Amino acid sequence: MPDFSILITHGVFHLFAALITLCSLMVVVSKHPVKSAVFLVVDLFLLAGLYASLDSHFVAAIQVLVYAGAILVLFLFVIMLLNLQPEELKGLKFSAVEAGTLVISLIGFLITIVTAFKGDQTGLGDGSLDPAAIETAGGNTYVVAMKLLTNYIWPFELASILILMAIVAAIVIAKKDQKKPAAQ
Amino acid sequence: MVPVDFYFVLACLIFSLGLFGALFRRNLIMVLMSIELMLNAVNLVFVAAGRAIGNVDGQVMVLFVITVAACEAAVGLAMVIALFRKYGTINTDILRLLRG
Repeated sequence: MPDFSILITHGVFHLFAALITLCSLMVVVSKHPVKSAVFLVVDLFLLAGLYASLDSHFVAAIQVLVYAGAILVLFLFVIMLLNLQPEELKGLKFSAVEAGTLVISLIGFLITIVTAFKGDQTGLGDGSLDPAAIETAGGNTYVVAMKLLTNYIWPFELASILILMAIVAAIVIAKKDQKKPAAQ
Repeated sequence: MVPVDFYFVLACLIFSLGLFGALFRRNLIMVLMSIELMLNAVNLVFVAAGRAIGNVDGQVMVLFVITVAACEAAVGLAMVIALFRKYGTINTDILRLLRG
């Protein structure tokens, strides 16, 4: 029954899309940063589900492991560490003109993008790796790994250097000043 | 498969919400989290478009975006801690040294 499977696919997508939009809204408008971080974790899990539905299993796993598991825990650590006082947790503060301008420009941006991709999709890639070809080549993770470690080997190595620099920079920025300036 | 336009519209919504938060929240940690939302919208466009045109380069790009997001979060949160230690606040209304 192909019609039924299409119905289920669309239903799952729309359910996930509604939940993702709702969680993103809650991330932005929640007053307390801990609540926002928890909603962001839910958001990232739902996005990982969408990636899995797009046959991108490796990206889905990395999304859960690295984003939800590492980056958001770092955010939560810092929120707990700072122990923010309630008066610093002010909610949204904006003028109607600013918000209106932003909404109108974003709607234009959205319509531009959607209409730009309506036409033919030539020139965006050779299109040689449709799902069937990926399956015969050894699966999605295999194909991504082959791309990552052959065509993208230099960006891969540069990413490791970037991570090293970020580690050193984070330690240097966050550590206490050892020598206090004498003339204060 | 769900049409790729739906994924683009969803990504536009997430990006809009993230941009809204990054511009209008006054808490530096909230600004950083909104930037993470925007990066996730871009990731969704990469994966959906790559799937639609039969290409896995988009997924490789997502891995690099996640790497850069991790570095950005680490350095940004270190800066937040340093600012909080120096000024006792992370409210962007008070931290306005470069606003002119």
